[in-house]
Formats: sequence, C-alpha cells, structure tokens
Amino acid sequence: MPRHIASKRERSEPAEMYLETIYRLSENEKVVRTSALAKSLGVSLGAVTNTLANLESQGLVHRRAYRGVELTSKGKTVALRVLRKHRLAEQLLTKVLGMKWSEVHEIACRLEHAMTSDLTDAMEKLLRNPKTCPHGNPIPDETGRINRQNSQPLSNFKPSDRAVLVKITEEKSDMLRYLASLGLMPGAVVEVQEKAPFEGPMIVKVMGATYALGHNIASVVEARRV
Amino acid sequence: MTVALAGNPNVGKSTLFNTLTGLQADTANYPGKTVELNLGITKYKGKTIGLVDLPGTYSLDPTSEDQWVARRAIIEERPDVVVVVMDASNLQRNLYQTLQLIELEFPIVIALNLVDHAERVGLRTDYQKLSKMLGTPVIRMVASRGEGIDELLQYLTNESPIRPAKGSTFYGPRIDQTVGEMEEAIKRSFDNNASGLSAHALAIRLLEDDSEFSELAASQSSQLSESVQVLRKSIESEYHEPASLAIARERHALAKQITEMVQSKATTRPLLSQRLLHYSVSPYTGVPLAFMVMVGIFVFMVNVGGFLGEVTSFLWATYASPSIRFVIVTAVGNGLVSHVLLWGFDAGILGAVSVGIPYVLTFYLILSLLEDSGYLGCLAYLTDTVMHKLGLHGRAIIPIIMGFGCNVPAIMGTRVLETKRERILASILIVLTPCSARTAVIIAAVGVFAGWQYAAAIFGIDLAVMGVVGLFLGRILPGKTSGLVMEMFTFRRPRISTILKRTWFRFSAFMQMALPMITLGSLMLGALYETGWLQILLAPVNPIMLTLLGLPAVASICLVLGILRKELTLQLLIALAVMKYGPSASNLLLFMTPIQLFVFGLVVTLYFPCIATMTVLGREVGWKSATTIMLSTIALAISMGALAFRVLPAICILH
Repeated sequence: MPRHIASKRERSEPAEMYLETIYRLSENEKVVRTSALAKSLGVSLGAVTNTLANLESQGLVHRRAYRGVELTSKGKTVALRVLRKHRLAEQLLTKVLGMKWSEVHEIACRLEHAMTSDLTDAMEKLLRNPKTCPHGNPIPDETGRINRQNSQPLSNFKPSDRAVLVKITEEKSDMLRYLASLGLMPGAVVEVQEKAPFEGPMIVKVMGATYALGHNIASVVEARRV
Repeated sequence: MTVALAGNPNVGKSTLFNTLTGLQADTANYPGKTVELNLGITKYKGKTIGLVDLPGTYSLDPTSEDQWVARRAIIEERPDVVVVVMDASNLQRNLYQTLQLIELEFPIVIALNLVDHAERVGLRTDYQKLSKMLGTPVIRMVASRGEGIDELLQYLTNESPIRPAKGSTFYGPRIDQTVGEMEEAIKRSFDNNASGLSAHALAIRLLEDDSEFSELAASQSSQLSESVQVLRKSIESEYHEPASLAIARERHALAKQITEMVQSKATTRPLLSQRLLHYSVSPYTGVPLAFMVMVGIFVFMVNVGGFLGEVTSFLWATYASPSIRFVIVTAVGNGLVSHVLLWGFDAGILGAVSVGIPYVLTFYLILSLLEDSGYLGCLAYLTDTVMHKLGLHGRAIIPIIMGFGCNVPAIMGTRVLETKRERILASILIVLTPCSARTAVIIAAVGVFAGWQYAAAIFGIDLAVMGVVGLFLGRILPGKTSGLVMEMFTFRRPRISTILKRTWFRFSAFMQMALPMITLGSLMLGALYETGWLQILLAPVNPIMLTLLGLPAVASICLVLGILRKELTLQLLIALAVMKYGPSASNLLLFMTPIQLFVFGLVVTLYFPCIATMTVLGREVGWKSATTIMLSTIALAISMGALAFRVLPAICILH
C-alpha cells in the first residue's frame, strides 16, 4: 500500500501544479502559451516542454503547435480538484488561523497536494461551505463544478439591486478607461435605480453620481449581487 | 493674459463664459478634429483677459475627442491660469478631473459653482479646508446669479501671478514610489522632453498607459518605453489589475476622501426631484409624460410662433419695409437694380426674421428650458431603445430635437456623437426633420388653407420617412455603434435669467450666420428672376412639375428659390400668385387645390436642405456624402410627391 501511495504522490505533485496553473492562466487566454506557463511556475522552457509532453501522453492536456496548451476534460477535472483544495486551504489559513491573505497563497500551494478528499470535505464543512477563496475566486464544489465568475451582466439586474462590478469584458481599452474615469471599475458598488424594458437602458448610481447606461454597455459590465 | 475654463459638463461653465464675454465669441478648431473651442474676451479694471472655454469633460484621458482637445488646448496654449469650474453638489466626481489637472501642474483657480443648489440640500463646504488640501485657491460661486465672479476676476487680475499647483498627490506608497522612479527614468532619458509636461506629470501619464504620451515616449527612447513597462508591471503585481485602473482607483479614493473631509453630508434628501425623476423615466409614466411634453411644445410653437409671426410681419410691413423701399428707390430709382436690391433687403431680411423670431427664437427658448431643468436627459433615456434600432443611441435625440428648430445648429450638434457612422446617420435624420421653416410652410400653407389634419398628416409622413430611413441605414451602414453613457442630473428649478441669456446667445449666433447668407442668396436669386433668366432656366422643368406633381408653374420657381430658405417657398408662392392672379390670390385656395397644397407642402418638407444646411452638412460629413444625401432627398421628395398626387384624390375627401 505505501508504495502505491508514494508513487501516486510522486507522479501527481508536479502534474497537479501544472494542471492547476494552466487552468488559472486559461482564465485569461484560452490557449495558454508555454512561455507564460514557464514564467508562472518559475521553471525553464525546456522543463515545461518535457512535462507537457508527459502530460499529453497521459491524456491530461492537448498541445497546439505554435500556440500553447489547453486542458482536456480529464485534465480539467484534476485541475479543478486541486484548485478546490488550494482555495479551501487558503480560507482555512485566513479565517481559522488568522493569517494575512497576501501570505497564504504560497503555503496553500504546498498544502493542496497533501490534502485527501476526505480532509477537503471536512474543511469545507468546518468553514461552512465558502463560495470563494479570500481573493474572491470561486471554489469548485466536490463534484468539480465551478461557477466561473459568480457574476452576471449588469443588464440582468433590477431596480433597487446593489451590485459590485467584477469585470468589464469590453475589448477596447478606450471604453474601459472612460468608464473607469467615471468610477465604473471593478470593485465599485453600483445601485440600480431604473431599468427600461425591451433591452433598454438602465440608470445606475455610482460614486455619488447617476448615469444612464445603454443596454449594449450594461451587458459588457459583469457584476455580482451585494 | 489667457484663461482657460475647464470642468465637467453641465457645471455652469458656459454660464460663466457667457457672463464674462457677453455676446461676443469666436470658435476655433484643431485640424482634423470636429470639437470646437469657444474663445472670448473680457475686460476688468483696464486689463484684457482672453478666455478659452474648453469642452466639458469628465477626465483628461485622451479616450474621446473632447477630452483630447481639452488637454491639448491646455498644454499647447499654456494659459496663464486654468479656472476649474466644479459642481458643489457633485464634488467627488468633479474632483477626479481636478486632481488630474493638479497633477499636470498648471496654475489653477477653482470656482466652486452651483453652490445654491448644494446649500439647498444641506451640503456645506469648508472652502478654506478644500483650498488647503488641493493647494489652490477656491472661490464660492453662483455663476447664474453673478456671485463670485467679481472675486474671480479680482483674483485673476491680481498683481502676483498664480503659482502652478503642486503636483504631488497621495496615491498610496507603492504608486507614489513608482512615480518617483518613473520621473528619474524620464530625466535620465532626455533632459528636454517634448511632451510639454514636467517630468512628474509625464511620469503619471506614462504609468497610466496614456496613448498619446506613450507613443511620444516610444518615439523618443526605447529604453524609456521599457522602463515604463517594468514600472507598470510592478504596480500591477501589487494591485492585481492594470496600472491605469489602479491609479484611477486611487484617484477616485482620494477624491472621496477629500469630499468627506470638506463637505457635510446632505441633510434634506431631495425627495421631490428624486420622485419626479422616477416618474419621468419609468416606462408607464415616463412615455405618456414625454408625449404630453412633445405635444405641449408643438402647441406652444404653433400658437406663440404664429402670433409672433403675425406681429413681425405686421411691424415689418408697416415700418421697416416702407423705409427700406424709400431708401433704395431714392438711391437707385425704380428699375431692375432696385427690384433686385429689394429682393435682398426687403424680402430677404423679412424671410430671415419672419422665421427666426417666431420659430427659431421660441425653439431655443424651449430647448434651454429642457436643458436647464434636466428633462432633456430623461428624453434621451426614454428614446435610447428606439435610437438604438436606428443605429444611434439616446444622446442623439438632442441634435435631432434641435433639428426641429433649425437643421444648421442641429447638424453641428452631432459632434457629441462618438463615431463618424453615428454622425452621418444622425445628420441624415436631421436633414429630414421638419425645421421651423418647414413647419411654418406646413402650418401656414397647408394647415390654414387645406385643414389642420393635412398639416398633421405631412408631419406624420415625414416622421415615418425618418423612421424607415433610419432603420434601413442603421442596418446597412458599416461600423459599430457606441453606447449610451450619460450623466443624469437631478431636476433643477430652471433659472429664468440663464435661460433667457442662453436663448438670446444662440439666437443671435444663428441670425449672425443666417442673415448675411439669406440676404446674399436673395439678391442672387432676385437678379436671376428679375432678368428673366430664372424662368428660362426653369422652362424645361415646369412640365415635369405638372405631370408628376400636379403643381402649377409658379410652384417650381418657389421650390428653386426655396433652396435659400424653405419658408421663402411660401412667401414667394403668395407673392408670385398675387403678381400673376391679382391681390385676392393671397388666399391660396383660389388658384391651388388642397391636394396641390398638400403635395407642395410635402415636397417642400422632404426635398433639398436649404443652403445653410448644405454648407454645414458638407463641412461635417464631407462633400461626397453630403452630395449623395442632397440628391437622395430630391429623389425622395419627387417620388413621395408624385405618389401623393396620384393616391390622394382616390382616398380622401378633399374636394
């Protein structure tokens, strides 16, 4: 038995690290570039290429020539499992042990590989089923499902809702900057005052000022209910 | 000395500008940009002050044309002082741009305006404290009442020049440190940077990923660009978001902090205006309300406009016209020349005045009222959905509404729209909008002689055409639409003096532009007419008019002359009819059937924009597009007119 466990851990730890990192980076760009992966893990490109070949032969990733790598569904399951452990660990360290959330990431990175699924479930119960880690990222549940952003377009909200802006999915940085200068930026709390029917505009209050936002603008602003 | 006026939109900047400069103002452009700057002069205690009214902006990031222009104007013109006008009831949001201006290290004087509104809701500001925290003088102002203006002028003309604002602001240790490092890097790269800013100011701009200055830095030194990247990354790793957002966030936080420290919280919740806003924009109450407002405006313009029109005509006929005739006849006798001159100076000026006073003046009055009360924003909100189908957004309703007064300022007003596509779309709709002149023709010719239902029908058809054209073009014209992002203002009790002043200012600007053009055009057409050339040129056209549109020969002359000013069509129709058929022909029904009047009115409404509109259109959208638009309108007018001519007798009860 011990030999079985040992070999599992030997094989899994770097693999899990890779899979988790690829998943995290894939939140920014669909196909993760090898160089980005190397930078994030702090290893050489050569080491990355080797490991990726290994992972691909195990059916965990899919490499795309000249573009990078993406997770297979099997790889994604493993990644989410690790992510769950990582984020729950972070919550344990901050909520129960009182550590600062800027410090917990490193430690959680090491803890996550030692946690069994029973331990993980017990931690989740103790912490009373948190939905996000201390940084605000969502925690996958025990079946591996993850609510990616836990947010919806601002245009989904109704009058007298309060929401905090999470992300603006608009590509053009000009619009982003303009909205930011008005105070419509991630982290800002908005209060919905009015909403017109038929995909019409809405009126929101932010930073003490009131704005009318067209539907096409409100639909690219992601927000979470508060 | 030169003084620039900066500030957010709707803070009373223009009121201040108008109060200081009176009715004299010039405009200026940066090449390739359509945003204009208003320039003026004021004198105080023997000193002359040149004023530049910058466009109202929320920030100085070059993300939109007016922001770009505002910033460029300050950096290039190097005014001696920048007067920042702020809305006391909205201090936090206004402070964002003010902090940017302080970062740019210009000499600044702050005019805290609209203090009366603020005090009414219990917002009391500690001016000393604000002045100390910002490091600039702060003047309490109510520009519409003239309060604080003397103090401002006193300050500006004081012997000692105003010191540049101190550029250091507290954005958190990380950012401040990085700014310092950036500053060093800049100083190392070149000792005479061409940006026009100090190293400190430039440092902040580069870290904020300012497109204009980043390009400049890249062209100067690639090493500098690299340092910028590195330093930006260091902010990003701390804040987990792009450096520009991090800095913006800190700036907002600082604005909030300052506001909380210098202002007491509002005590009276403006419940009434809050509720009014709610009823004005909620679909069930807002839309009917808007409809009633529109009807009210229409009725007002018809009645008051009509009344003023009669008064103007009467006064002109009794006093002005005879005097002018007398002068001209005494000077050049009674021949061809005198007739031509009378075309210009009697009929021409009358034409301008008889539309200007009854309709343009009243229209601007209504527009100012809508703006000042804050209701215009509600209209933009309510119409946004519809505007979107037409490829525009809610704010486009403003120039389109202006088009109901006169197309010329309306087309110029399309500059508030962000993309060229939207500007062209809006301009096309505006050209189809029935302006005061067309309204006058419709009401006075069709309404009076054929019946008000038919006048209403012409309006209806026109609006329908606008809708169809808008929908169609909205689909096929390439390009994306931007979206509505517009500040909503709480309802304010409009101040009569401000409204009157602004109305007069706009009206006189309009007359200054229209009058010479109309007089000149009238003279030219008068010459063509009196010499007989016009009839010769139009001879081939008359048969077409008759067969297609069923209009008598005099009508074609009127339509051509209507290119000058559309309401000339009506006056000339009457004048020519009288000349041809005798004095009783001023009752148009005597020689034109109601159907003919209807067709005439419809064609006048739809065809060719007047010469003033054509000029502005060409300038705003380019002559190629403008010509296409103009030719299309003729085609549209003729086809609709022909259709009406064939269809009307069949379906209606006009005898």
